[in-house]
Amino acid sequence: MHQSELERFEAAVLPHLNGAYSLARYLTRNDFDAEDVVQDACLRALRYFGGFRGTTAADGRAWLYTIVRNTAHTWRHRNRADTLTAEFDEAVHSEHVGDEHPESALDRSVARESLAESLDRLPPEFREVLVLRELEGLSYKEISAVVGAPVGTVMSRLSRARKRLQEELR
Amino acid sequence: MSHPAVEAWIDQSLDDELSAADAAELAVHLEGCERCRGFREERLALRAAIAEQIPRFEAPGPLRERMRAEWRAHAGARSPKPVRRLQLGYWVGLAAALAIVAVTSWQVSASRAGARLLADEVLATHVRSLMPGHLTDVISTDQHTVKPWFNGRLDFSPPVYDFAGRGYPLAGGRLDYLHGRTVAALVYTRRKHLINVFVWPAGGEAAGGGKPRFVQGYHLLRWVTPDYQYWVVSDLGIAELSEFAGLIQAADSAAAPAPPSQ
Repeated sequence: MHQSELERFEAAVLPHLNGAYSLARYLTRNDFDAEDVVQDACLRALRYFGGFRGTTAADGRAWLYTIVRNTAHTWRHRNRADTLTAEFDEAVHSEHVGDEHPESALDRSVARESLAESLDRLPPEFREVLVLRELEGLSYKEISAVVGAPVGTVMSRLSRARKRLQEELR
Repeated sequence: MSHPAVEAWIDQSLDDELSAADAAELAVHLEGCERCRGFREERLALRAAIAEQIPRFEAPGPLRERMRAEWRAHAGARSPKPVRRLQLGYWVGLAAALAIVAVTSWQVSASRAGARLLADEVLATHVRSLMPGHLTDVISTDQHTVKPWFNGRLDFSPPVYDFAGRGYPLAGGRLDYLHGRTVAALVYTRRKHLINVFVWPAGGEAAGGGKPRFVQGYHLLRWVTPDYQYWVVSDLGIAELSEFAGLIQAADSAAAPAPPSQ
């Protein structure tokens, strides 16, 4: 890679670094791992930049977020950190929308969780769509590309994620 | 229209994803439906609460700088000279440049097949050491425990340092087999990352440094001093791993010209 290519890469990636870090931070739920994930993701991005055909800033953003998201998922499987929520099953979660993790039900009987804590407790598949929509402002179509799921699935996951958080507000 | 369908429309309209025609129909429905108006109010309250209570994190400044240094190291390792891009057909120029880079790195790697084989061997040894129970034969953060442990186990006494004060504490050491001989493997840590340092006598190799390698998510650094050959491997970022390598090199040159004392 030569200098002008590196500059082009930085121009595509640097404006979205905060968003990439924020996404990684919500997916890993701690600072150290978020840094590792972003660092790893950006190196991958650098290596695959030759294949990147986007032209707009939004293209660069969705492209980078996709790599960050996939890196974070690989990281989670490797570290088995998300055992509470890792066994995501679309059918099960779809049918029993109101089901909470036993742990969160327990906590709620003791003290009300903050909204941020409720978000951290959502299964990652719900958490990521909510963060991409509410914090990063991505369109359904962009989210669909980042998480690799159809737009309809994105919409239903968003709706369920919101429903869970809404329960915390009541 | 069913309530779940209307609720989906309400979400879509608040997300700016509802077509104008559907939005008009939704407005009519909301006029006459208190329940759906209530749902919309709740969603608006949730949005406000999220905006207020769930922060968007910012990338820490040091991370940003570390990554830019790392990109430069990676980009520079492949082709240090900037190539002027063609005025006509930027993509043609880019494709040609990438092809040149590919051919060049292929040639380089072909000519250094021997070094690469050794790099693969080092990497395999590193990965194997990460498997449960394989990392250390002597577990100690004390260099004065680790260094004597190698006595009688190796035909040389490897330099062992403790960089705990610099954030790279020693974790232990073990014997390993590389490049057709028994070598010293020293284990250092950085946060949760492990660093394997493989050391054996220089054996006539010319002193100097090799270029950093990045294989399967691991960085490998290699250099030769008048006394020893070093391979350092870790999943740590290249900037930090280079800093660590610099610490060893500084400590080695502080110990020279006499070989590191026992």
